[in-house]
Amino acid sequence: MKKVSIGSGSGFWGDMLEPAIEMAERSDVRYMGFDHLAELTMAILNRMKMKNPESGYIPDIIPWMRQLLPITVPKGIKIITNAGGANPIQAAIETQKIIKEMKLGEMKIGVVFGDDILPYIDEIRNQGWKFKNLDTEEEDIDRIRDRIVAANAYIGADLIIEELKNGANIIITGRVSDNALYVGPLMYEFGWKYSEEYIDQIAAAITVGHIIECSACVTGGMSNMWRVSKRPWEIGFPIAEVYENGEAVITKTPNSGGIVNQWTVKEHLLYEVIDPSNYVMPDGIADFTSVKLIEEGPNRVRVTNMKGKKRPDTLKVCIGYRDGFIGEGLIFFPWPDALEKARWAEKWVRERIKRLGVNFDELRIDYVGVNMLHGESAPIDDKDFNEIGLRIAGKTRTWQEAEAIRREVTHLWTMGPIGASFGIPLNVRPVIALWPSLVPREAVKVESNIMEVKE
Amino acid sequence: MKRKVLLKELAFARSGDKGDVSNIGIMAKSKNIYEFLVNTITPEKVKNHFKGMVKGDVKIYPMQNIESLEIVLHQALGGGATCTLRFDQTGKSMCTALLRMELEVDEDLIKEAEEVSKNILKKYGS
Repeated sequence: MKKVSIGSGSGFWGDMLEPAIEMAERSDVRYMGFDHLAELTMAILNRMKMKNPESGYIPDIIPWMRQLLPITVPKGIKIITNAGGANPIQAAIETQKIIKEMKLGEMKIGVVFGDDILPYIDEIRNQGWKFKNLDTEEEDIDRIRDRIVAANAYIGADLIIEELKNGANIIITGRVSDNALYVGPLMYEFGWKYSEEYIDQIAAAITVGHIIECSACVTGGMSNMWRVSKRPWEIGFPIAEVYENGEAVITKTPNSGGIVNQWTVKEHLLYEVIDPSNYVMPDGIADFTSVKLIEEGPNRVRVTNMKGKKRPDTLKVCIGYRDGFIGEGLIFFPWPDALEKARWAEKWVRERIKRLGVNFDELRIDYVGVNMLHGESAPIDDKDFNEIGLRIAGKTRTWQEAEAIRREVTHLWTMGPIGASFGIPLNVRPVIALWPSLVPREAVKVESNIMEVKE
Repeated sequence: MKRKVLLKELAFARSGDKGDVSNIGIMAKSKNIYEFLVNTITPEKVKNHFKGMVKGDVKIYPMQNIESLEIVLHQALGGGATCTLRFDQTGKSMCTALLRMELEVDEDLIKEAEEVSKNILKKYGS
């Protein structure tokens, strides 16, 4: 039975490069997927592009291509990345330059774009589509329309498949769903189409993509298996060996650290899923409640019995809009009476903010070491702590008000209880809120082409 | 014989975010423990456990195939990663907060969970 190995080279912007290099060097993968885009990333990249029309892609792509291509090109490994972000064409031009400069030979770069619907969002609205908020169920984007800074549809694998058929060696995309970076090459290799006949195979590809797309998060990272993960400082990224019938084995780079077992795969199968029987992706809907996991050897988990439904008529769209500012401050109090000092300081800041007449939407107080992570659900011990931090964060409509909150906390350095310690002050940050919605698939003008590199 | 233990003894957990939704995957340490948890952990119990941190509905999706529960908490992250005032913007620690839940459990199940934990160390730890 035909088998295709596909690996994950990046799970987010800022991921580690070494494991990707090691996978390219040591494994027999035919494809490597690189995801760099989170919900907020498109808004950041759009802002970069507004300042400089030749930016707007993930800048990491340059050093990464330099280090990866000399390994992947001779081995024939195809790289599929959404590092194009808000400017896939420019990212492809930069990659083209690297290929020429490093004399890597003739090559075809597939570029997929058109996920950015902001330029024509009003056209879609004029046809009666309201962009209802999926979280809050607010019906219409009218209230936030003039504050929108990004609107990107999560597009599927269609055009990745198209450009693989056209002979692309590298594919650079915009906001393609993370999952499609894996579904695309699998559908291409096995000849699976968007028809009734292949629904379960596509669901299998979606499931496999979901399991490996966050890189180290299925190989012992972010894991309950942290105690038994081998050489975690040399953690390997995940590889899926996928068979024509849709079954797959999840493993990792040979001789790498980390761990793959039934628990790490379960962890990731459950990760960031809402309804596990309807995991909706642009290429299909996977049912994770039918999947069976079998540990078939060290660092090898077989995944079988994937089922699904046909792809939806709508695509997810993530709309980002400006929504005020956050100002925050941090200060630490030592033993003795650390918690009492922190409570004293909280009262001090609240009084100061009141006296200054600073307006805020929300003010949050955390005692670091007590309840910063578990919040209201954390029990507070009545003991004399070694040290307690006080974190104060406020959300405001204006930059000035956020700055006032931040600044008041810094005054505690010289006006607070004995022993108060502080580090480098934090900066006020603008808030981009997200408005998750749907858009009719046919309304999104996706495009792709091939950029050839000749010797 | 029953006694009180924390959920931490019976299951593993992993959490993440989708906007203002926090999702917590609970992986039972055995089939029997899964059956017990499916019948014991209710949306109301979960919501009360978080004492006001979760403003919206809680839904629980059982996954018998992997002996796990997908617990979905709506309006649970202070507005979602990009606008929350919480330090843990993406709710990665929400799973560990749920592991504090206290349950009244049969002694046999507690022993079973202890065995599974020991076996994990033995099988993967050496």
